[in-house]
Amino acid sequence: MIRKHRFAFTGAILAAGLALTACSASSGQTAGLGEGGGDQPLAGKTIGVAVVGTQHFWDREAFNGAVERIEELGGTVLTTDGGRDNTVHAQNHEVFLSQQVDAVITILGDDAVEPKLAELKDAGIPVFGVDRDSPSAVNNSQSDNEAAGEAIGNILGEAIEGTGNVAVFNAFGESLEFCGVRYDSWREALETNFPDVTILQPELAEEFANSPEDARQQTLSLLERYPVGELAAIHVACWDQPAIGVVQALEEAGRTEVKVTAIDAGPDTLEIMMEEGSPFVGNVAQQPRKIATVAADNVAAYLSGEEIERQSYTEVFPVAGPEQAREVYEQLGYDKE
Amino acid sequence: MSTDTTTRPSAGPFATESTGARVLRFAIRRGPLILFAAVCVYLALASPFFLTQANILSSLEQTAPIAVVAFGLAIVVIGGGDDVVSGGIDLSLPASAALATVILSDQLTNRGAGLPQAFLLALLAALVVGLVNAVLVTVVGLSAILATLATYVAVVGVTRVVSENRRIDVTDPAILYIRDEELLGLPVAVWIMLLVFAVVAFLVHRTRYGMNLQATGGNLDAARSAGIRTTRIVASTFVLASVAAAVAGVLLVARGSGSSPGIDERLLVDMMLATFIGAAFSPRNVVNVLGAMLGATFVALLSNGLVLTRVNNSWIDGWKGVLILIVVAAAALQHRERK
Repeated sequence: MIRKHRFAFTGAILAAGLALTACSASSGQTAGLGEGGGDQPLAGKTIGVAVVGTQHFWDREAFNGAVERIEELGGTVLTTDGGRDNTVHAQNHEVFLSQQVDAVITILGDDAVEPKLAELKDAGIPVFGVDRDSPSAVNNSQSDNEAAGEAIGNILGEAIEGTGNVAVFNAFGESLEFCGVRYDSWREALETNFPDVTILQPELAEEFANSPEDARQQTLSLLERYPVGELAAIHVACWDQPAIGVVQALEEAGRTEVKVTAIDAGPDTLEIMMEEGSPFVGNVAQQPRKIATVAADNVAAYLSGEEIERQSYTEVFPVAGPEQAREVYEQLGYDKE
Repeated sequence: MSTDTTTRPSAGPFATESTGARVLRFAIRRGPLILFAAVCVYLALASPFFLTQANILSSLEQTAPIAVVAFGLAIVVIGGGDDVVSGGIDLSLPASAALATVILSDQLTNRGAGLPQAFLLALLAALVVGLVNAVLVTVVGLSAILATLATYVAVVGVTRVVSENRRIDVTDPAILYIRDEELLGLPVAVWIMLLVFAVVAFLVHRTRYGMNLQATGGNLDAARSAGIRTTRIVASTFVLASVAAAVAGVLLVARGSGSSPGIDERLLVDMMLATFIGAAFSPRNVVNVLGAMLGATFVALLSNGLVLTRVNNSWIDGWKGVLILIVVAAAALQHRERK
């Protein structure tokens, strides 16, 4: 009887595994659909798509946008996920080298990935970045980060009426080029248009993984150091996930007079902005799915022999206050998800 | 099916065993290894690239830091016993390795140090963590799981302070050598893993210290009665493990061309998987050094193979979980069969 149970148990697990395979192998199996068709320029091509993680809305949207567009264009997709560990993300690019894919789209990631992108380039595999501006890449598809930084600087300055101390989370300004652009233009807008605003030093640095909880803890410490009246706003310079924790901390401490601004405007942070009396007053909405779709289109164009510009920009939507948050939320279709 | 065991002649167990029963017994005894091989065969059939030299070397390179930190954990478990609650465990190793990456990167990039000096500092920091663990467990009397969880959290905090949560790029030639070069057809990182494996395996299996270590982990009271200084042995495991964490730090800096924040969590999961899956490859179902290396290799090959067979990203962790469950369940059944 024991042996019967053993086989039944092992069999059940194997069956579960096989069922999982059937479900899970669906992605990337569409190569050859309409092969040779004019609207399927990637037919017969294998495109690697590496993403640093898929836990966050932006990353997931960009990843899905790239994969779906490549499949629409007839390509086969080989995907990797770094689980928000930049070193794993970098290492994942090895698989594209070993399989000699036709092109690679690399989504986000810090400079850990650069040597791998250089290896891909040296191996004759063209690389296309999504928010990853690399010297080894043919093209980088991104938001208009300068416009985004400038817009959020102006929104913040107006929200605090042009005066007061502002703390900023800026962990990635040096290691991620697009974060640096956002931060620099935000700072320039504040310094130019709101000279009475002071940016507190030292700046804060958020964690990459577990960013909301990490930002919550850091904000609680910050509030201890800056009592009521001494802190006007907290800005997250490059993305929006830490802002979730910042708002939690302000609400916990009863310090919602401190304004919060960020960049990315995923549905979760837009929803927080839409809440009555929310301290989260400014955001800049990006279109991650569209950004990655543009990258996939660039791959197709490049492999068809077309010239590709070094940078591709996608429009951003500045969001000031709950009403605009609601409008952008609907405009980007988040209310239908 | 079960009656054959009741009719065994006294001349010896399984003396009248049929061929089928012998095959079955072999399958049970070698179940996890057979399943490991079966998974590899399946992945090889599903993707022609799986068994290419470049892919295997790449997977082994990915294995290296996980395996080295798993060797450290294996020493702690061997010396402290494999009871999940009261046995030996060191959850702080990934945090020590992450701290080592920051110290190494900072020294190499910002302080102008060479690799030997940077490594000594990283090793010193890891040793401090190991000593704190040793004191907490053997002097204060905390359970290893609680003590090392506490130091894990503390070391992550220290790492955050030291690194300011920022990435540090490294272009030191020695690190690039470890990252990019091969010796006799194997990546340098893999040679380092094999070297650490050889040292640890020799220490555990070929020295008096290793015998005392295994005796202490196997039965603490018996070891104490036999005159083994068990407290000293248990304390030493945490210190030795911290050395492994520092070496893993070098491999992690090479893999990431510097230090990036947030590498400890993933490393913790992979280390635990590698070490305890490794036990499934052992005939006695116990944590051991070779098993840790096999476990790390299995996890890396599995991740790589699932990518190559185009399993959707979202399903990869679920798939890995199922396959790991199969291997571990087979080991548990094998263990129960023996009893």
